[in-house]
Amino acid sequence: MKRSYRRFLLDLGCSLLVLSGATALGFLFDRWGFTNSNIMLLYQLGVLLIAIFTAHRSYSLLSAIASVFLFNYFFIQPKFTLNAYEAGYPVTFVVMFLTAFLSSSLAIQLKKSAKEKEEAAVLIENERLRSAILRTISHDLRTPLTAISGNASNLLSSEESFDAQTRRQLYADIYEDALWLTDLVENLLASTKLENGVALNLSVELADEILNEALQHVRSADHSQTIELMPMEELLLVKADARLIVQVVTNLVNNAIQYTPADSHIWISARRDGAMVSISVADDGPGIAPEDREKLFDSFYVGESRRSDGRRGLGLGLFLCRAIIQAHGGEIRVNDNEPHGAVFTFSLPAEEVEKHG
Amino acid sequence: MDKYLIEVVEDDSSVRNLITVTLKANGYRYLSAMNGQSAVMEAACHNPDIILLDLGLPDMDGVEVIRRIRSWTETPIIVISARSDDDDKIEALDAGADDYLTKPFSVSELLARLRVTQRRIAHAGSSAAESIFHNGPLTVDYASGCASLKGAQLKLTPIEYKLLCLLARNVGKVLTHKYITQHIWGGNWESNIGSLRVFMATLRKKLDDGSGSAPLIQTHIGVGYRMLKQEAEDNNTQEG
Repeated sequence: MKRSYRRFLLDLGCSLLVLSGATALGFLFDRWGFTNSNIMLLYQLGVLLIAIFTAHRSYSLLSAIASVFLFNYFFIQPKFTLNAYEAGYPVTFVVMFLTAFLSSSLAIQLKKSAKEKEEAAVLIENERLRSAILRTISHDLRTPLTAISGNASNLLSSEESFDAQTRRQLYADIYEDALWLTDLVENLLASTKLENGVALNLSVELADEILNEALQHVRSADHSQTIELMPMEELLLVKADARLIVQVVTNLVNNAIQYTPADSHIWISARRDGAMVSISVADDGPGIAPEDREKLFDSFYVGESRRSDGRRGLGLGLFLCRAIIQAHGGEIRVNDNEPHGAVFTFSLPAEEVEKHG
Repeated sequence: MDKYLIEVVEDDSSVRNLITVTLKANGYRYLSAMNGQSAVMEAACHNPDIILLDLGLPDMDGVEVIRRIRSWTETPIIVISARSDDDDKIEALDAGADDYLTKPFSVSELLARLRVTQRRIAHAGSSAAESIFHNGPLTVDYASGCASLKGAQLKLTPIEYKLLCLLARNVGKVLTHKYITQHIWGGNWESNIGSLRVFMATLRKKLDDGSGSAPLIQTHIGVGYRMLKQEAEDNNTQEG
């Protein structure tokens, strides 16, 4: 409501400014002895400009009418009246109005079609992205779904023919695949939440609590890396949507697990960094090639050097991490670890709290 | 009573089946209901020990079921919710639920929650009226207003002590941020959430006896906090 009111004032101001500008220039032209038709063209130009810069066609319509009256009032003999001595002037006024009005209509039409084209381009881009997402998802969902339904149907139809160890393996595979799908659904949910511009559920959170919660979400069954949460020397409070940040940390740690050898170490730490709190997930794996770093945070990018037997990720995780961190007003980056490995660091706005009580 | 009776309220048959099979395999007795109406009926007729309640029921809102059941009994209710939105859980907890599980949950998680609730029931039955609270290494003497850890007196600020008492009186129950801040500070709870974090962190540090055992106070991100009831012989650390 308030916004449209402001827009109205802005458009009105713009129209008045252009019309008075044309009138002022008209006086100059008049003084320099230019003919009236030049001044008329000035008004035509003014109306055209108003048509381009204002939101609604009523402004250019009213301006077209006003310009005729202004022209008549200021520049036609007798000046400063709305009368005209010469018999031809009424026709001139009508033609002037029609020209101004028609040209402004054309301008509006042009503006509209340009806007439509722009919207169409955005729509096409969204559609392209959507179909890319659908293609990737349906492709990558099929793999675990095939494994789950296949393993389950084997167990249903011929459970007795497997020995205990094989059966156990089948159950374990079903469980693993289901967990993988759960992760995926969490990421997809988080990304649709961001895409739809749902407001972040911001609250004051302890970095420590968020990191501990994230560690509980890390798939603990299938990794042999050592994960260590470094102690923090102070209470670090951040303003954040806890669920989403847990998702970010979980993704970073799961990535570290997926892309490092079995005996690697993963360190999670947080520290104060000016007005921000920096949280890092570091590993001593092979690290990330410089040429991969740029594309790492893009949607559907999956590194070439991935473990060949590992499950192909969607390439959604880091893309989502960046989107979440940016929505918080922070940034995320990747650096080299010494002597080898990768460090993912993201920042969140720090929060000061005076203790009540 | 040797076996606990659990009421399972869930409209989806495969999830209901999963829960009842799990309960049976772990030595619980159970009864099940598929909608809110029959959930309230069954609870009234059979007086179960614990109720597992799905929030998305076909006939009425799960929160309404909690309110009706709470109108006559304090039977522990564990809410099961497929919605990842915290607001539903918080609403359910504020309406009187004790704990929650989010789908998809693992079987071990379900069993852990049941054990926590059982300990709470046992505690409530034995020491409801006592003026001294015991929980693992922690002792709170409400009458003299002091708390100790492994016999050593804890130096707590007044707010920390109030927090500790609130958690102890509701041991085993998830308390929402709103509930806690309103009980400690009153008034506008959102402006006190930062203070709550700080006091909770310092309180937790003071309660850490350095033995590396499971913390007494559990954090529920986006929801609230809970004090876990520990048993002397139970060093089980897999809750969560």
